[in-house]
Amino acid sequence: MIGFVARRLWQSLLVIFGVTLVTFLSMHMGGDPTYLYVNEHASDAEIAATRAALGFDKPLPVQYLRYANGLLHGDMGTSLTYRTPAVDVVLHHFPATLELALFALIVALIFAVPLGILAAMKRGTPLDGGIMLVAMFGQSIPSFWLGIMMILAVGLGLRWLPISGRVPVLDEIFAGNIAEGLANIPHAIPYLIMPGMTIAFFTLARTTRLVRASMLEVLSLDYVRTARSKGLSELRVVGYHAMRNAMLPVVTMLGLEMGFLLSGVVVVETIFSWPGVGRLVYNAINHRDIPLVQTAVILFAVTFLVLNLAVDLLYAQLDPRIRLNG
Amino acid sequence: MSYIEQRRKRRILVVITMLIVVALLAWVNAEHHRHASKQGKRSAHAGDPGTIVIAQANDADTLDPSDVGSADTLNVARMLFGTLYDVSPEGNLQPFLAESYTYSEDGRAIHFKLRSGLACEDGSPLTASDVAYSFQRAANPSNHFTGNASGFLIPSIEYTGVTVEGPLDVTVHTSKYNPIAIGLISELSIMCRVPYEHMSLREASTHPSATGPYKLAEWVHDDRIVLERNPEFKLRTPRYDRVIWRVIPEGSTRTAELLAGDIDLTTGVPPDQIDAVRNSETAKIETVTSTRRIYVGFNMRKKFQDTDGGRAIQDVRVRQALQYAIDVPTVCEALLRTPCQRAATLVVPRNDTSGVPAFPFDPDKAEKLLDAAGYPRGKDGVRFHLRLQAPRTLYGDGNVAQAIGQYLSDIGVDTQVDLLDLSVYVLLTRQHEAGPLFLLGTGGSTWSALYDMSDLSAPNAGTNYTGWHDPAFFAGWKQLEQTKDAAEQQRIMNEMLQEFHAGAPWLMLYFQPDVYGVSNRIHWTPRADENITVY
Repeated sequence: MIGFVARRLWQSLLVIFGVTLVTFLSMHMGGDPTYLYVNEHASDAEIAATRAALGFDKPLPVQYLRYANGLLHGDMGTSLTYRTPAVDVVLHHFPATLELALFALIVALIFAVPLGILAAMKRGTPLDGGIMLVAMFGQSIPSFWLGIMMILAVGLGLRWLPISGRVPVLDEIFAGNIAEGLANIPHAIPYLIMPGMTIAFFTLARTTRLVRASMLEVLSLDYVRTARSKGLSELRVVGYHAMRNAMLPVVTMLGLEMGFLLSGVVVVETIFSWPGVGRLVYNAINHRDIPLVQTAVILFAVTFLVLNLAVDLLYAQLDPRIRLNG
Repeated sequence: MSYIEQRRKRRILVVITMLIVVALLAWVNAEHHRHASKQGKRSAHAGDPGTIVIAQANDADTLDPSDVGSADTLNVARMLFGTLYDVSPEGNLQPFLAESYTYSEDGRAIHFKLRSGLACEDGSPLTASDVAYSFQRAANPSNHFTGNASGFLIPSIEYTGVTVEGPLDVTVHTSKYNPIAIGLISELSIMCRVPYEHMSLREASTHPSATGPYKLAEWVHDDRIVLERNPEFKLRTPRYDRVIWRVIPEGSTRTAELLAGDIDLTTGVPPDQIDAVRNSETAKIETVTSTRRIYVGFNMRKKFQDTDGGRAIQDVRVRQALQYAIDVPTVCEALLRTPCQRAATLVVPRNDTSGVPAFPFDPDKAEKLLDAAGYPRGKDGVRFHLRLQAPRTLYGDGNVAQAIGQYLSDIGVDTQVDLLDLSVYVLLTRQHEAGPLFLLGTGGSTWSALYDMSDLSAPNAGTNYTGWHDPAFFAGWKQLEQTKDAAEQQRIMNEMLQEFHAGAPWLMLYFQPDVYGVSNRIHWTPRADENITVY
């Protein structure tokens, strides 16, 4: 187990090195980054002075070492638009994105698991076909289209839900105002439903298909047949014996899904004016705030790696047959 | 259990599930309305007669008065900070915090007389030393400001210092006479020394201390900025008690919020949603021809001279020919869904007395000019190849650039259109490396033709993105420095504009039509200079 964790940590370090290298090079892809830091009326002398002050006149390897050294000391650069450390800006926006991703994950699970099991149990029936059709639809439609349709139908047509905005929950909780954060939950839900459902739909569809496939495989195994022959109720066979094993691949995927939800919310946050990291990155790209984009990418990468590692460890706990030191 | 009993059980289950779903929806809806009305009591909202809710795409970058730059930030800052002079909706310079100004004999010193009784947000008097501090702070290079004041205004007037002669008397010194200095100075926010001396630059960016009609009540980054009346400001009576700026990046969402009645005014209604707003019962469309000039620049720098098209555009006949190839009214009607007229020069029509005509759509003439310039069609119908670079998300979402590419290809100039992300594109234009053709939109003014021309203030100016270096045109600036006679200035400017037209460094398209969505609840008239003023 220790060996497995050590190996995964080493692999993670390599991945982070790759990510930092790519983010560093992205700064130089559009040309001389000095021009990001000066106004367009700056003289050649001012531009040269800024270039020297920021170290952009040094060879690229030297610049990368300075950049990496900064990262090791928690310095991810200063946001050009917010004029504050980029890491502070990203972390300030992170609770909003985490809130949306968690809501979407919960919604997806609430619907996907029962639907997937139902489709597996009713295999080949119109009900199974209907569920799979919806799942295919969910995996095919672009989230921006779904989001705009929801805004038009639910927000503008029916006036049931607010079109954009947010009531903070996790921000309050992280700031230590736990009671206030929890009290905000009922007010926050109306704002969460449309953006949450929009990003949940894809995950829901994919998870439904996975649950169905996994359940079908498990239901055909001998031990399930044995359980049935012992006279156990169908609810106990499916809900207890089959589900435990059928959920293993789902758990693996959920870790990745959470990473996907966290990092894949750019479009949804922009459409619903949700003040999270996704929208922050979108704005940062438009405002050429490269340090902010770099920081968000690195933090997303680290989150992804941590989630992956957690999933692997959880996997071993759920299935004792799996040996992580192999 | 019999089959009938099973069916009955299932039906009951379905009914219970539906009841639960309906109850949940009702609860969510009730919570939303309860929260909205609670919010309404606390911070007001659209529909409250004392409040106006305005939506724009971007949050303010900073509310440090010395450093504001982007148009969206300027809109908020103008509510918070007074200026010595300001520009009326009709485009006239008018006294604001200052009641008058006088130029010194040599034109290098401008003396301002402040109004009496001005106050800072904390109630202390606003005096000439605060005005001096505002200039000194913006001009201080150690602050590393990149906004409009330090990046454009201060260098443009060639500021050299400021002196205080009395509580209401202050003089701004420049290295030479500048006929548009007052207009430029009208963009400098006046701030109070005491609060800002006690703030770090970081604090100053988020804690504005107002000298204008409103003060900051709340700023939730990327969500909203709430302003409320500044009781210390006595010069004008604001129309609203509260102004809420909501940040909604997506145009469709802004339109939906407008139609739902959650906002009163939105900028940038997407062309495909203009009819939806027009046909609604809750809002209307207001359009105005803005001072922003949309043009295609010919980058004549050495970098492009080795390319097929880059070499061709060195010839003025080619640059003129391409102007005849674009049907601008059709581009506007089809892509922007708004009529607009072709721009003739870089000066907005109300200030343009040059008499220079816009190039008409005449593809036959374009072809003849290209033949005469030595670029006949080849066997494949192509005269030469060009590349047009444009931002993907501005000036008509890249569609305008695609249309221009097609019009040029139609006259045998095979044009490849590169649509770039804004972040990359801006960097390229700043380094003057976009091209050889590039689409750009730069702002002019309502108050001065000279301001509009200042993009080409020198061959090496940062905003001369084309690298055009016509000696006759640039000599005009020297002549302008030497006269204070308005008629003579006008004559020189007209000659410069005729030179610009003949040299054709810009393929003039149109002045951008600005499209606003306005709730029927309010009466609001848009301004040509893109300012949103509600006081």
